[in-house]
Amino acid sequence: MKKKKLFKPQKLFNIAITYLIILAVCFVFLFPILWLVLASFSKTGSIYSFKGFFPTEYSFDSFVRLFTDTQMYNYPKWFANTLFISIMSAFIGTALTILTAYCMSRFRFKSRKAMMKTTLVLGMFPSFMTMTAVYLMMTQFNLINQQWGLILIYSAGAPMGYLTQKGFFDTIPSSIDEAARIDGASNFKIFLKITLPLAAPMIVYTLLSSFVWPWSDFILPQLLLKNKDLWTVAVGLMTLPTDEFSRFAAGAVFIAVPIVIFYFALSKFLISGLSAGAVKQ
Amino acid sequence: MANLSLKHIYKVYPNGTKAVNDFNMQIDDKEFIVFVGPSGCGKSTMLRMVAGLEEISAGELRIGDVVVNDMEPKDRDIAMVFQNYALYPHMTIYENIAFGLQMRQVPQKDENGNVILDKKGRPKMGKMPKAEIDERVKAAAEILGITDYLQKKPKEMSGGQRQRVALGRAIVREPKVMLLDEPLSNLDAKLRTQMRSEIVKLHERLQTTFIYVTHDQVEAMTMGTRIVVMKLGVIQQIDTPKNLYQMPANKFVAGFIGTPQMNFFEGTLKKIGDKVEIRLNGSQSVITIPYEIVIKAMPQYLDGNTKVCIGLRSEDVSIDPDVVKESNTTIKVKISHTEELGTETLVYGDINMDGDGFGDDSTRIVLKAAGFKNFSSGDVVDAALNMANVHLFDIKTEKSIIPRVPEYTYQDCTVQKGVLSFAGTQIKLPPAMPCPDGNYELHIPVDAISLGGNISAEVVSQEVVNKQTLARLVVGNSTLFALLDAPVEGKKVNLHIDIKKLSICKDGNVVVKPMPLINSLEGTFAMDKVKGTVEVDGKVKSRMVPKYSIVILGQKFEAPADVAVKMFSAFTGRKVFNTSFRYELSPYDFTIGEGGITASVRWMINYGDEKFIECEVAGQTFYVKADKDYSGSVTLMPDFTKVGVTEIGREIKIV
Amino acid sequence: MSNNVSVNVKEKKANPFVSLGNKIASFFKNLPSTLNKKLAGAKEIVTQGNGKVCASMCIMGLGQLMYKQWAKGIIYLLCQVAFLAYFVLKGASDFIGFFTLGTTESNAWVGIEGDNSVIMMLMGLLSIVAIIFYIVIYIANIKDCYSIQCSVDTLKEPKPFKKEVGALLNQKFYKTALALPIVGVCVFSILPIVFMIIIAFTNYGGDIVPPKLIDWVGLDNFARILTLGQFAPTFFKIFGWNILWAVLSTAINYFAGLALALLLNKKIVKGKTLWRMFPILAYAVPGFITLLAFKYMFSYGGPINQMITEAGGTAIGFLDIDAGWTAKLIGLFANAWLNIPSSMLLATGILSNMNTDLYEAARVDGASPFKQFVKITLPYVLFATMPVLISQFISNFNNFGIFYFLRGAMYMDGYFLASDSDLLINWLYNMSINNNYYSIGAAISIIIFIITSVISLSVYVLSPSYKSEETYQ
Repeated sequence: MKKKKLFKPQKLFNIAITYLIILAVCFVFLFPILWLVLASFSKTGSIYSFKGFFPTEYSFDSFVRLFTDTQMYNYPKWFANTLFISIMSAFIGTALTILTAYCMSRFRFKSRKAMMKTTLVLGMFPSFMTMTAVYLMMTQFNLINQQWGLILIYSAGAPMGYLTQKGFFDTIPSSIDEAARIDGASNFKIFLKITLPLAAPMIVYTLLSSFVWPWSDFILPQLLLKNKDLWTVAVGLMTLPTDEFSRFAAGAVFIAVPIVIFYFALSKFLISGLSAGAVKQ
Repeated sequence: MANLSLKHIYKVYPNGTKAVNDFNMQIDDKEFIVFVGPSGCGKSTMLRMVAGLEEISAGELRIGDVVVNDMEPKDRDIAMVFQNYALYPHMTIYENIAFGLQMRQVPQKDENGNVILDKKGRPKMGKMPKAEIDERVKAAAEILGITDYLQKKPKEMSGGQRQRVALGRAIVREPKVMLLDEPLSNLDAKLRTQMRSEIVKLHERLQTTFIYVTHDQVEAMTMGTRIVVMKLGVIQQIDTPKNLYQMPANKFVAGFIGTPQMNFFEGTLKKIGDKVEIRLNGSQSVITIPYEIVIKAMPQYLDGNTKVCIGLRSEDVSIDPDVVKESNTTIKVKISHTEELGTETLVYGDINMDGDGFGDDSTRIVLKAAGFKNFSSGDVVDAALNMANVHLFDIKTEKSIIPRVPEYTYQDCTVQKGVLSFAGTQIKLPPAMPCPDGNYELHIPVDAISLGGNISAEVVSQEVVNKQTLARLVVGNSTLFALLDAPVEGKKVNLHIDIKKLSICKDGNVVVKPMPLINSLEGTFAMDKVKGTVEVDGKVKSRMVPKYSIVILGQKFEAPADVAVKMFSAFTGRKVFNTSFRYELSPYDFTIGEGGITASVRWMINYGDEKFIECEVAGQTFYVKADKDYSGSVTLMPDFTKVGVTEIGREIKIV
Repeated sequence: MSNNVSVNVKEKKANPFVSLGNKIASFFKNLPSTLNKKLAGAKEIVTQGNGKVCASMCIMGLGQLMYKQWAKGIIYLLCQVAFLAYFVLKGASDFIGFFTLGTTESNAWVGIEGDNSVIMMLMGLLSIVAIIFYIVIYIANIKDCYSIQCSVDTLKEPKPFKKEVGALLNQKFYKTALALPIVGVCVFSILPIVFMIIIAFTNYGGDIVPPKLIDWVGLDNFARILTLGQFAPTFFKIFGWNILWAVLSTAINYFAGLALALLLNKKIVKGKTLWRMFPILAYAVPGFITLLAFKYMFSYGGPINQMITEAGGTAIGFLDIDAGWTAKLIGLFANAWLNIPSSMLLATGILSNMNTDLYEAARVDGASPFKQFVKITLPYVLFATMPVLISQFISNFNNFGIFYFLRGAMYMDGYFLASDSDLLINWLYNMSINNNYYSIGAAISIIIFIITSVISLSVYVLSPSYKSEETYQ
């Protein structure tokens, strides 16, 4: 009993410190975002009309102007472009990724290990280290200023990140495949009728994660899309001058919201997916 | 609805390990075969090869009359039940059971039920009609009592119900062979017992061949009509449950079948007159048993010095005072501890009075006592051994030394002036068997004896073993065992002894060897193109056709077609032409003097009614049947129709 | 599971690099026998193939046609015809062009339309790809013909074409399924790399861009980077900072993420999901937005400087060209802000897989919480995340975004087309994309690639998860 009494203040202190740190950390993570969100509601728009961290006046103007004042900065058009590119890349990329992961998990063929090692090495260096080469190649293939050029690059790069999906397929017992084989299904049928339905949650995850990449990428579109009408949101926002700060903030908030919602909805999956990919690598 | 034939089946992994090693078995229609053995014994691999989920490295697998080695699982007309059920989690039970039928291509029928034919006159194949699927799924569900769950998903069901669904998925396709891979090991003990009897009932109802894999010997014993015991890829014994229990072929089978495990002791046997004295290591007691029990044992085991392994099941050891009083084969047991199971008590002890029941393997003993028994550790009791059920094994080879079918019968014999006398019978030794006068020991192989000679004998008993008859005969006053093709009618028979199979020994040395009946030669296999004729669309055309030959001693001999096919099936690509083989030919497989291998005759082996040439070719000794005397050099033309072929590299029997 | 893991960690610590060395040594020792094994197949075909295989060697598909495998024979034959047509019409000149990189320079005055070296390089590369592709098909054709011979010789029915096509959806489904991903990766990942490597050996860039002719210069570019006054000092300065940056940022992100995960994993913390929302929020917002927000925040008109001026100070150019260490520190901070959440999520996932028995055992043994962390948690998490740690190190090494968005392309005195906070990757970008120093840029990227791939490969090969890949199945 005595010991417990002695322990208690210590424990309280422990709790207090823990929560203090947590609150501080959360504040650090929240603050820039909060600042940005508040800025998007700023009336004047210029970064110079702020009082410290907070706008002097609040209004919805930036959001309205974002979609109406399209003369200089055609946000709706950028948004539509981004949506198109992201959705197409997500679908094609997901199809390729799932196929790759399925084959790597279910088949044992000669070049499998070599391929796994190659993808690992290729994946180890950032895709735009070869920017120059991609740019020159795309020029030669006539894919500059083409949304499809971007889609091709995004979806062709997607299968390199098949490891998480492979880890998922590895957890489906192989006896299910064998049962289907005995039932008379070919491997294609098994993939279609057994594996795909079972992998539905993984497909959703893959779709979202391959949607997010083009959605928030800046470098490739900036390099390959020279025409203002083809710009994505990321490229567009980068061109906004400082006096359009609230417009930038509004545009940023507008594209960040869907992803934030996705991530919240999938946070549990995210954790297991991340750690699965980690251990399997 | 089909029999299976498994011949020389191997599973060899690229690193050379053999998961299944020369598996030979004939499975009759409607049998319930159980493959049993410890993990890693190859039982599941064998089953998966039958299913077509694993490739067969070498050998021939037939279902019905069709060789199915290269067939897809779906075309083999088999169904399989998996250990983890392998139900499709996203489908309902109904869809799970129907899936196999939906995938299947069946002959299409018109409204009148007649098969529709396509342009080429073959039945038109297509999907099975929905109504038929529905009917069959419901019928299968009815049999297994899962009709109420058809719309549920597998995860809503218990383990037992899931296993029923898995069974339903298998039986709905009405397969020729049902394969079950440890189907009950994921269930709890009670459910397992219940499902066990249900599966047996299902087998009776379906009247199909079942092959069941388990590591649980109780399951094997209660379910199988025949059991295949395997260890490290090799078949140890194939037999009925009763025979496995009563006549285990080796120590492994003896220890594997039955709980608690059979007690194994080490000891020596000494034949004294018509009694045999058994001394167990670590025990002072001497047990005397009638010679009759070990009559099949070779004499060298009975010399009082050779260590043998003595096995006795726990139920053959009794400490019931009434039994002990009556018994004259008793032993002292020092009890270490007991396990009370309710109806009986397992008593653990040691036959070594200095042991504690935990130390030396070969002196530990477990015995069964009825009801509850109370002993304190260290109590010494007398135990009666039922030696009629004793099992004896060779220490090294672990094979039973009193096997069901002995290899030889041993007789004392004398040779005087070229006449061999044993058991009141006299045989004149042919020139091939020169033997100085004296007393010897005669080994008569069981297959050396056949009916229809001039030695009269009396039949004591006979039993059918693997379609042959093992007869116990008395000649004079000695016992002989003979393996005959058919049961003998009547008490008296006349025997013929094939003297070329006899061996005469003295003090462990062979004085007269039996005739070697196998010539083994190394060689290769080759293909040549020769001018031949081919029938194309009814016209005979001259073409280059392949000719396959067995190459031995630098000469090519045409290979019989069936031998060639078997050799091809064990290899991929043209590897068969780059591999060396060991060919085995009997002395009867040669014709002399019609070309072929040239051999120099060493001497003639004359058995009187049969003559053989012992000759030499390139340093190798050959034995060839001859109808007359030869000398100098002869030519031998081998006949390969009955050849035995073994791949040397992987040690795989191909033919 | 975790027991095994901790044992493995110990074994690994013993001598990771010795074992890698051994591996490399044994690779070279086994090279002759490996090669022999590979060549054995070819030798077999050459020595044992019959006339029809020879026919296929001369004209693709001929052997198949002689074996009456019409469909396959015709397909191979068409491949041959198509390739020959391509090669005669275009491929051969492309191939030669790859080596010459053009001979006639265009001259607008005289009206000569000259050769475009870059296009010739690319087309030459494509012609080499076509030749490799043809050789692959050619070998497949011979192998196929030989396999038909094998089947016929061993009295097995050669597979009908229909069945072979059918197998592409069954036994060989992986071939069908992987075809598109492989082509995609080859074209958009491997080809650019090859192209980049090739450029590194030319003088492409600076003034020498089409219509001027480009030439092969061998290893000149590498020599220039490492020795020439213009590039060498910049390279070594940036390289030093780059290594420091990679180590620092990886360590900060990793350990801060782990600490955060442990903090939120504490039993006394209630509402874990809620608290985790904040880092996830930071993780979800696209990186370039946050980085720009940071840039604005630290800019002259930004809130921080506003507060400083209001307090009576003078505005500080946090990210100015002469900012020095403040800019680097802000970079580290921004990078941590961006990457700690994912480290935290990862560590959370790993920690949730961890066996809690170990802690209980440790508590029974009387280990303090700190001891528990050092002796149990850290080794386990380090082991489980070693591959990720490495890939994080490499992505930090090549972290382009941070200073690009925070500071943009700044050129500083004493640096050639770079600033003190730039990483090699930023320098590469400045030189090649902004200033056309293509070949030098390519050479830099090869150097970066060598550094990163050596690190990643060695760690990957050493990692126990590579060795025990099958155990997860």
